Amino acid sequence: MGAPSKVLKVGMELAYPPFEMTDKAGKPDGISVGIAKALGKKLNRTVQIENMSFDGLIPALKTGSIDLVISSLTVNEERKKSIDFSTPYVKTGLALLVGSDTKIQNEEDLKKAGTRVAVKKGTTAHAWASKNLPKAKLLVLDKETSAVLEVVQKKADAFIYDQMSVYKHWIKNRNTTRALLKAFQEESWAIGIKKGNKKLVEDVNQFIQEFRKEQGFDNLATEYLGEEKQVFKELGVNFIL
Amino acid sequence: MFKKTWYLYLFVYVVLLGLLYLSFQRIDYQWNWSVIWDYREKLSQGWLMTLKISAVALILSVVWGWVLMLMQRGPALLKSFSLTWVHLMRGTPLLVQILLFFYVIANAAGLDNRFWLSVLILSNFSAAYISEIFRSALESIPKSQWDAARSIGLEPWQTYKEVIGPQLIKIALPALGGQFASIVKDSSLLSIIAVSEFTLNAQEVNSLTYSTLEVYLPLAFGYLLITAPITWFAHRMERRLHYEF
Repeated sequence: MGAPSKVLKVGMELAYPPFEMTDKAGKPDGISVGIAKALGKKLNRTVQIENMSFDGLIPALKTGSIDLVISSLTVNEERKKSIDFSTPYVKTGLALLVGSDTKIQNEEDLKKAGTRVAVKKGTTAHAWASKNLPKAKLLVLDKETSAVLEVVQKKADAFIYDQMSVYKHWIKNRNTTRALLKAFQEESWAIGIKKGNKKLVEDVNQFIQEFRKEQGFDNLATEYLGEEKQVFKELGVNFIL
Repeated sequence: MFKKTWYLYLFVYVVLLGLLYLSFQRIDYQWNWSVIWDYREKLSQGWLMTLKISAVALILSVVWGWVLMLMQRGPALLKSFSLTWVHLMRGTPLLVQILLFFYVIANAAGLDNRFWLSVLILSNFSAAYISEIFRSALESIPKSQWDAARSIGLEPWQTYKEVIGPQLIKIALPALGGQFASIVKDSSLLSIIAVSEFTLNAQEVNSLTYSTLEVYLPLAFGYLLITAPITWFAHRMERRLHYEF
């Protein structure tokens, strides 16, 4: 596709605070935005954040309308068939937000026939549930907030999502939900790159290594996740940025 | 007219498909059509759901639209309710109505049957438009016909059935056909409350296989498969009724 342009187009869905979000003035903000800016500086390219829906990110990468995806994107085999990944920069896992009056204790309990399980479309939780919960009634939602609402209103028994978000939503809905934070599928997040762009993969990997060394990730985590970082440490949940 | 110029229509189709093909050629994209075949069951289940929702909503919206129109000709309270309701439904996005009705109003009322709620929300939205179609059709029928009907001793319901009704259908049909097609397409918005209809299932296949563009064509075709007979039927009725008067 010709010579690489000076602008670095980074795709993300700005609906996943504190990683990808907008500030009060509507400008992109969050940990991933911080990472993108640092990467742009290192590659000497102007960063342009492209906000799009999560399940549109990989197609956008494939059609070349963006250069990179930094959107809390989990590495998995299926995705590796369509795009390349950098080295991971976050470790996390799938956890459960369940209704406070349900008896669900772990992911095995979701396998019972008729259990209503909410997932966000296109997430690894969606893929996990499609594969592992053939008997459950799957509710596929566009928005994370709708999925939480389904559990709060008892329209769904459980919502599968990453530990950080599950914890955050439980804090907001302590009376109606319970958080089961033990990860039943370990995951890592990485930067997504269009297939076959070896040079960019190398550059990005080198950046991640350097950024980690100079405590870049750590500083961003402290800035955006101060409280959660502490809680997760106490809970023994393995969440490393 | 249609029969004599069928080759012109064919020509238009070929040109449009050709343009679509060229557009697809221009984008740098790896095609993977086998996934569509792998997920054929999921896609057809979604299509059936869309068909079911649209069919029920179509009937209900005609009934509710008719009632809303009648209210506007009734007592002042009913009239002001109907006018306000139609105004609200036509003035707000369906997306907002779906979220409000499903997560707020239905929840407060303790209702949670996803299928029936979505049918009701869609019917209600469409009924607002249909009531307006009925109203304008009714108003276009000269008042003198009512007087004439009364002078030959017809009751109001007989006047509706024998005199006004047939003319009303003929006048309203073109607009109704378009509205019915809209119901089918608007049902795709129900995906936001996780109703497992055609669009949601297609989007799920997208996101599980990352083959976005391959799914769009069957999706468009699937909707055409439902809307085309509606449009065709409306046209046919129109012509048949045309000869009657």
